[in-house]
Amino acid sequence: MTRVIEVPATFDDRSFEQFAGGFGSWPPEEKLLFDARGAQWASPYGLIAMLTAGQALAEAKRERPLLTVPTSDDVKRYWARIGFFRYAGELFDLHGRVPKAPTGPSDVLLDVTPVRGTDDVHAVVEKISESAARILHGELGLEMKATLRFSMALSESCQNIVEHAGTSGWVAVQAYTFRRRLGRRVAVIAVSDSGIGFRRSLESTQAKRYGERWGDGAALEAALIQNVSRFRDPGRGQGLAAIKRFLDQWQGKISIRSGTAKLSIVPPWDEDVPLGEHLPFFPGAQVQIVIPAQADEAR
Amino acid sequence: MIQTIHIGRLLRESVSGPYRNLVTRPTGAAIRGRIQETLAESDCLTTLLDFSGIELLDFSCADEVVAKLLLADDGRGGRFVVLQGLREDQHEAIEHVLTHHRLAVAAVAPGQEHESPRLLGWVTPDGRAAFRCICERGAVSAHELAAALDWAVARGEAALEALAIHRLIRAEHGRYHPLPIG
Repeated sequence: MTRVIEVPATFDDRSFEQFAGGFGSWPPEEKLLFDARGAQWASPYGLIAMLTAGQALAEAKRERPLLTVPTSDDVKRYWARIGFFRYAGELFDLHGRVPKAPTGPSDVLLDVTPVRGTDDVHAVVEKISESAARILHGELGLEMKATLRFSMALSESCQNIVEHAGTSGWVAVQAYTFRRRLGRRVAVIAVSDSGIGFRRSLESTQAKRYGERWGDGAALEAALIQNVSRFRDPGRGQGLAAIKRFLDQWQGKISIRSGTAKLSIVPPWDEDVPLGEHLPFFPGAQVQIVIPAQADEAR
Repeated sequence: MIQTIHIGRLLRESVSGPYRNLVTRPTGAAIRGRIQETLAESDCLTTLLDFSGIELLDFSCADEVVAKLLLADDGRGGRFVVLQGLREDQHEAIEHVLTHHRLAVAAVAPGQEHESPRLLGWVTPDGRAAFRCICERGAVSAHELAAALDWAVARGEAALEALAIHRLIRAEHGRYHPLPIG
């Protein structure tokens, strides 16, 4: 039997829950078909979530899943442009014609990129330096120093995969317009892995402290709000703290989803709930960082 | 004697690509190891860690290179470490990690070794006032500092001792000297 996982027509951090809910218990016993034919748009978060699911299934030694590519030529071209199919082909049996990746200028700051080790973090930071300045300073109206903070946030987010996930992960960065939520341009960092997640990472040092409250939500709270790390090294945990300060300064948003919970630091322009618990299980951790264009009056 | 360690050169020798960004803990730990080796082999009283040519310095790397170098105090003997060539955003990263550990270091701009260094990290307001006074006046005793700042002598002594413990000034025969960087 094959279970069909419907890829949401608009696939972002909000519709992610619909996607995650499609798997049932994890890892699913059945062969999976990811049906993306109706996809109209996917954020970097949605695209690397699909790759994460494919990777997690491979790591759980489940049958290689199928992926039907979007019907829309525009959507296919964009997915090719951001590098999604390059890696999807390694994890899925692709059904449908995949176009060659178009070249030339685009809003993609960083293609879908695997993060397997320290060298990848260096490469990601090097690669984004130039485009980050062009888009964050040039288009979004942020001060030049914000572009460095943005690269720093990217670096620290990717390092969390290397240091905590126990497996590899994915990162992608793009600028686009948040029409409904904000009506402004944003730069978005999406980072995802299929690893052990925050709860297991912090369990040995934090579970006792939280007692019955311990779970995915409490683990996210320990990491994001209290800057706790699984390492006893007192210098640890500063990366997320630094990201929070940067986001506070620029009215940005960070969300971390791990296991069955999602914790967000929500700026005034967004209506997300700070903590979502008892969500459908999804492996590893998914991080999204959003930096909005500065409003004209703030420039 | 003063020696300069070029962090950009160590970075190029420590990672596989021609990178200009000082990021990740393993990279920071590798660079700190090289700095400690150089310090162990050197007789120089002062070591300038030169960050010019470095683009991004992230918090993890700042923690590994600077904070842990200062924490591993045994390897420094009676010597001084001063930072040089930092950009404003790099000042902020180092300031943050050092404050977290309640540590401090002095930083100078390249070619401006004769100007007052800037303190980064955790220093009390009294410590900052005492440091500024020594940079302006030169070597002082606790009595002279107290008189200059209109403090009780004990307050001056406490501020100077704290600065000396963090190797932000040099204590010698009851007098406290500016960092030997000129």
